[in-house]
Amino acid sequence: MGNTMIKVFFLLCIVLTSTGCWNNKDINHRLLPAVVGISKNGDKYKLILELPVLESDNMKIQIIKATGKSIADAVDWLSMNMDRGVDLFHVKLIVLDKQFAKQGLTDVMSGLMRSREVAPNAQMAICNEDLDYFFGNVQKSKPPTGDYLLDFFEKDAGWTPNIALTRVWQVYRSLHSSTRDVIIPIIQTGKLTEVEHIGSAVIKNGKMVSQISPNDTLLYNAFDGQGTQGIVEVMDLATVLILSDWKSNKSMIINEKPFMKSQLNLKVTILETKGNPSMDLIKKDLSTLITNRFHRMLTITQKKQADILGLGQTFRTKLPRAKLKNWREKYYPILKLDFQVNVDIQNEGFLKSD
Amino acid sequence: MKIWLEEIKTVFKECDDFFLQHDYLYNQPVILFGLSTLIDIPQTKKLIEINLNMPKYSLQEVIDHHLVKVAREQNNIIDAILEGKIILYIPDFEKYMIMEVISKSLNRSIELPTNENVIQDALDSFIEDIDTNIGIIRKHFRTKFLITKVISTGIEQEKKIALLGLEAHVNQNLMRKIETQLKEKHDQEIHNAQSLVKTLGFSAWDIVPKYKSTEIPTEVIASLKKGKVVLIIDDFPFALIFPNFLWDMFTTENERNLPIPLMLFIRVLRVIGVIVATLMPGLYVALVSVNPEVLQLELGLSIAQSREGVPYPALVEVLMMLVILELILEASVRLPKSIGPTLTMVGGIILGQAIISAKLVSNLLTIVVAGTTIANATVVGIQNHLMLRLLKYVIVILAAIYGVLGIIVGTVLICAYFASINVYGISYLDYQVSKDESNNG
Repeated sequence: MGNTMIKVFFLLCIVLTSTGCWNNKDINHRLLPAVVGISKNGDKYKLILELPVLESDNMKIQIIKATGKSIADAVDWLSMNMDRGVDLFHVKLIVLDKQFAKQGLTDVMSGLMRSREVAPNAQMAICNEDLDYFFGNVQKSKPPTGDYLLDFFEKDAGWTPNIALTRVWQVYRSLHSSTRDVIIPIIQTGKLTEVEHIGSAVIKNGKMVSQISPNDTLLYNAFDGQGTQGIVEVMDLATVLILSDWKSNKSMIINEKPFMKSQLNLKVTILETKGNPSMDLIKKDLSTLITNRFHRMLTITQKKQADILGLGQTFRTKLPRAKLKNWREKYYPILKLDFQVNVDIQNEGFLKSD
Repeated sequence: MKIWLEEIKTVFKECDDFFLQHDYLYNQPVILFGLSTLIDIPQTKKLIEINLNMPKYSLQEVIDHHLVKVAREQNNIIDAILEGKIILYIPDFEKYMIMEVISKSLNRSIELPTNENVIQDALDSFIEDIDTNIGIIRKHFRTKFLITKVISTGIEQEKKIALLGLEAHVNQNLMRKIETQLKEKHDQEIHNAQSLVKTLGFSAWDIVPKYKSTEIPTEVIASLKKGKVVLIIDDFPFALIFPNFLWDMFTTENERNLPIPLMLFIRVLRVIGVIVATLMPGLYVALVSVNPEVLQLELGLSIAQSREGVPYPALVEVLMMLVILELILEASVRLPKSIGPTLTMVGGIILGQAIISAKLVSNLLTIVVAGTTIANATVVGIQNHLMLRLLKYVIVILAAIYGVLGIIVGTVLICAYFASINVYGISYLDYQVSKDESNNG
């Protein structure tokens, strides 16, 4: 018995002395920024951290800024000069300066993924204006509860399918994929609301090359399976609510040219009509509207050689890897896509319920 | 034979309650002796007169026909005296007779269970007398298949231990092993459950009890039906059921009077209670000091705010609160019932309120600690309750060192420890002794 006790005691001593648990910082000794803004001035990064602070019952927003040769350098400088350690693991949203996005995000994204300090599923956004101005306005806003910027992108809160949801890991993936690019939502200070969403930036190889509208983003989300449920589509004749959608793709290579057949099935309900259009007319109208919109978006992205819909993914089994590497430049611009929209009007509203 | 009497007198020389009376029976001079503290003497004398008053026979014939128990050895007499019997010595025949007596009532009556609560079931509970306890079981469970083996152990103090099992159901192997173990070590003194566990050859250092103790007869009967072995020890107001299972922590027999869905609901609650009681304080430490990234941002902020100005690290804070709470629990057991409520008020309301206003611990921690204590109370059996109270410290310390990973490691350690516990090869994690059971848990 005594022998065992000595052994246990010895083991306990080892466990307790070899842990380093005294290096743990308690949560109240850490700064927890929720939003990080990154811009680049020459070769120096500028970091703007938005810290939600609870004061009695109110949430206040504190903004701190730092510059450094790298992001880690800037964070380190902040930790040195603040009374608490700065931890980026609660960052939910990374706002990038538009100019910076045009210059290229490759280094920053790789850095973020490498250090793993920021969660890979943090949201990305691009700011259409100067970050100092943008965050200055964010600070002035007085959110009653929660954080405005975060809730704006929160799927359970302010998000609508017009806004692209792009995560850090998705941007990082696009850097290393030859068949997939991403879009990042663009925001700016709103006139009527705190933040305004004005479309999405098309990112190719880590650089912003073009911009698409919120309506196109909706289509992107529908195509991406992000759930278009509950969106209102306004047409000339009627306003409809999309209840559910599913799509099927079929791809083939004929004479070294890519062809694709895509079908988007929508189930809708009618909300408002102008006059008394027939159901067939509404169906036709809606499918033409969406088809046109889709083709317009495809043309823009084909010009810029940015495959945001990831159409190249469907050719992975059809093209050898060596050729797939040139997907963006060689194949994507000449892709012919037969896009069909099938609309099923599931109900005509709740007129007959009484 | 006259010498015996002298020797017995010397044995009880120091006992002032030993009495020796000369009397006449059938005109024969007799000597009565025994312990006056155990025997109601006048009533007993009447009883003896009635019993031996058989007009057809003489006293000589009564003795010769073995109508009374005649002692053959001196030790028998001493044992009988200690058991509270009266000895009738007839000098003319030189015979010692052990007579039944009317004993002084030293037992309390059968009352409501005091350590366990019963809802909608038989409300009687065991008392200190072994015969009464077995009697209660027999009354509740009228069957000819009940095996009752009484074994005595101890030299200085003889202790009767009854081994109960149900023929055809009982795990024969277990029963035989307990019986042989007790018989082999019949010289061991058994004063308490610890010495019993040692006598049965188990380590007394295991925090998981090898037996389930209960003072409720219906609980015992249910265990007998499941094939378990029940030990009833003289002077113990509870029965020890071998073996104890992990699942016993979540079940009581009186739930079976409820519909199955309600029974399951209560049991699921207990499982949640056990998980909360063991993991919550550890989770607090892990999330606050090691892995705050796991928290939702909003939650993280409100925790950070509630910890603003708290001088201690999370581990010290948690240990401090837990120890204070353990002290309150222990004190409320020790104190007389009349002072108990005062303690609850001082401990719960005044201390709780003051400790927060003094900014010694965070608001959240008080919620965590209160939740832990409440959850801990859902478990069945006081031993299991204590075991969980102890085990949560393992998790707290590991959580302080390794965070969420530590909690997982701690849980694995505890599970491994549970898996190592067995009673003569029947694992603690098993749920039935005989394999033919299927009655919804």
